[in-house]
Amino acid sequence: MTVRVVLVRPWTDAHGGTGCCGGEARDGLCFDGRVDGPRAHDQEVGTVAEAHLRLLAEVPEADVQIVGADNTAYLLPSVFRAVRRRRGTWAALKEANRATTAGSLLVDGERVGDVQQMGAEAVVTEVRRRVSPAGVRTGRSRSPRASRTP
Amino acid sequence: MLFFLGYRYYSAYLAERVYALDPGFLTPAHQFRDGIDFVPTNKHVVFGHHFTSVAGAAPIVGPAIAVFWGWGPALAWIVLGTIFAAGVHDFGSLAVSLRHRAKNIGTIAQDVISKRARTLFLLIIFFLLTLVNAVFAVVISNLFIANPGAVIPIFVEIPLAMAIGQYIYKTRSAALVPSILGVIGLYLLIWVGQQFPIDLAPLAEAVGVEPRTVWVVILFAYTFVASRIPVWMLLQPRDYINSHQLFIALGVIGLGMLVGWNEIVAPLVNDVPDGSPSIFPFLFITIACGAISGFHSLVSSGTTAKQIDKETDARYVGYMGAVGEGSLATGAVLAVTAGVVATRSEWEALYPDFATASGGAVGNFVNGVAVFANNLGVPLELAVIFAAVVVISFAATTMDTGVRLQRYIVQEIAELAGWHSLARNLTLAGLVAVAVPMAMALVPGGGDAGYTFGVLWRLFGTTNQLTAGLALTVVAVWVLRMKRNPLPAVTPLVFLLAMTTWALFSQFWDFTQGESWSERWVLAPLDAVIFVLALWLIVEAAGALRRGSRREYDEAGSPLGDDSDVTTR
Repeated sequence: MTVRVVLVRPWTDAHGGTGCCGGEARDGLCFDGRVDGPRAHDQEVGTVAEAHLRLLAEVPEADVQIVGADNTAYLLPSVFRAVRRRRGTWAALKEANRATTAGSLLVDGERVGDVQQMGAEAVVTEVRRRVSPAGVRTGRSRSPRASRTP
Repeated sequence: MLFFLGYRYYSAYLAERVYALDPGFLTPAHQFRDGIDFVPTNKHVVFGHHFTSVAGAAPIVGPAIAVFWGWGPALAWIVLGTIFAAGVHDFGSLAVSLRHRAKNIGTIAQDVISKRARTLFLLIIFFLLTLVNAVFAVVISNLFIANPGAVIPIFVEIPLAMAIGQYIYKTRSAALVPSILGVIGLYLLIWVGQQFPIDLAPLAEAVGVEPRTVWVVILFAYTFVASRIPVWMLLQPRDYINSHQLFIALGVIGLGMLVGWNEIVAPLVNDVPDGSPSIFPFLFITIACGAISGFHSLVSSGTTAKQIDKETDARYVGYMGAVGEGSLATGAVLAVTAGVVATRSEWEALYPDFATASGGAVGNFVNGVAVFANNLGVPLELAVIFAAVVVISFAATTMDTGVRLQRYIVQEIAELAGWHSLARNLTLAGLVAVAVPMAMALVPGGGDAGYTFGVLWRLFGTTNQLTAGLALTVVAVWVLRMKRNPLPAVTPLVFLLAMTTWALFSQFWDFTQGESWSERWVLAPLDAVIFVLALWLIVEAAGALRRGSRREYDEAGSPLGDDSDVTTR
């Protein structure tokens, strides 16, 4: 069973900057070392990154995405569709709103918790529990894409 | 329909026959996956991020000026440019970056063209950002003068956005509802702004300058401070509010047109007065964003390329991003040819000559959108301020980002030049990043008629097209080395370089014959410098293409032959 997991970027991992000729404010020109980014908040970003990498390695059945909290064009419809099937329209609307909470862990559209507060280990455990309710997966497996060759 | 056909057939041709996308290729997002920047991401997520990074106010301004030559040529260039130039450019920049560790186009230019190309890239981007910041400062200033009711909403939006951002961050709350409340608050402030318009004319008169000058200084003082504030504190919450405004504005334009069924009253081809800039080459630099924008190559390469999951996703993300921008430009054409006025004579009064057309273009767009909103029942006076607030919001965000990027460029150039104190001093670099475009925005000439704005806009268009030319050169050389057909990239490259050099030469002649000192001593030298950059680019492009066609390159694993970027790190 494929579980859809979304890690919402922390608020401090901002990628602001709207507009042609504005581009990406944080690293629009991609010069090494000139990133006006989350350097003061590396820990928050690092937790999401660690959770992401561990989920890919340890729970390959999960489809894992990292999405900015401002990407409502993706978050709102995808969460609404996923939740409405199971719990109806009102619950889907509430979950769609909750999905825009920065730093969230979303599993099949539902907000399970805050990645920073849970920590990477708990995120992996939670997702693994949802993939296989018995929670008996052990060992590491490689991501399907890791075997690709250039 | 044509955009759809372009995506369906031409982008498929590019993907299969020109860029040779391989669904099995290990993209940089997988190769260097770190969960921070290099993240394999669903193509719809990437598209959302890519599109919001490339779409903004610029595809509004160019078309709103260019209908001066008639809506037919403007629309034709937008549609054909999007399909055969912008799509090739945005998609190609993304594809070539994917094969180069997701490096940005300037760095790849150094590898593919020559070491000098990186310096050329930095200089072109420096002038591009200078002109971007200058023209948007003038755009916003003119809108504040024409719509004093928009001042309060725009300036209160800044602390409002920061407060919302802090609330979301501190309480770890969902961002959607607070940001929607922010939009509602902003629109309530439109009513407040209408009751208490801010007019700086008395202040300007007291100090003996034009009101536009005062606004330009205020705006650059603000951006100097704003560019030092972390992105997550101001830009991100403001972007969040702006993203809602984008959807609202697109809905208003679409629904307003359907309800009002406004007819295009502008001529198909306008019989412009003698002495006006000719359609060739000036149409093709007046509309840059919306037909082809070099800035998109910076977003495609480096940023978006780090998130592409499968190489074949580049077609959807890159080409559709260009189509989205072309659609915005088409909407701008409709607003200034069908929405803004109801009769041909009224339209001709708005576009009597190029100076008036360029000076009033953004105001015409604002009034056009206001008419569409009025079709939906919004009182016209409020609708005008609403439309002005939307445009200013986008333009101000572009300025915020533009000044920030300009500071990076100043630091980078200073580093290359060995001026280490400037390279490492953020305040000093920020001051340079603000002072140069502010000086350009304050260049006198034409007053409210906006002559200088029209000229600055054309110079902006040429530098944007030169950036696109540099990116297309990189794409063409890469395609040539893969022994594939480079014509889809070479054709728009040659066309753009021909139009930009022609325009620069023509403008230089006009400036040197100009009556004002600013034309002879500011604009003419600036034009000459950009002209030299254009010639430099032509020489580099020709040399790189010649070398690319003569040497042998490995097509299988390493499309750039001796460049080992693809497989090693």
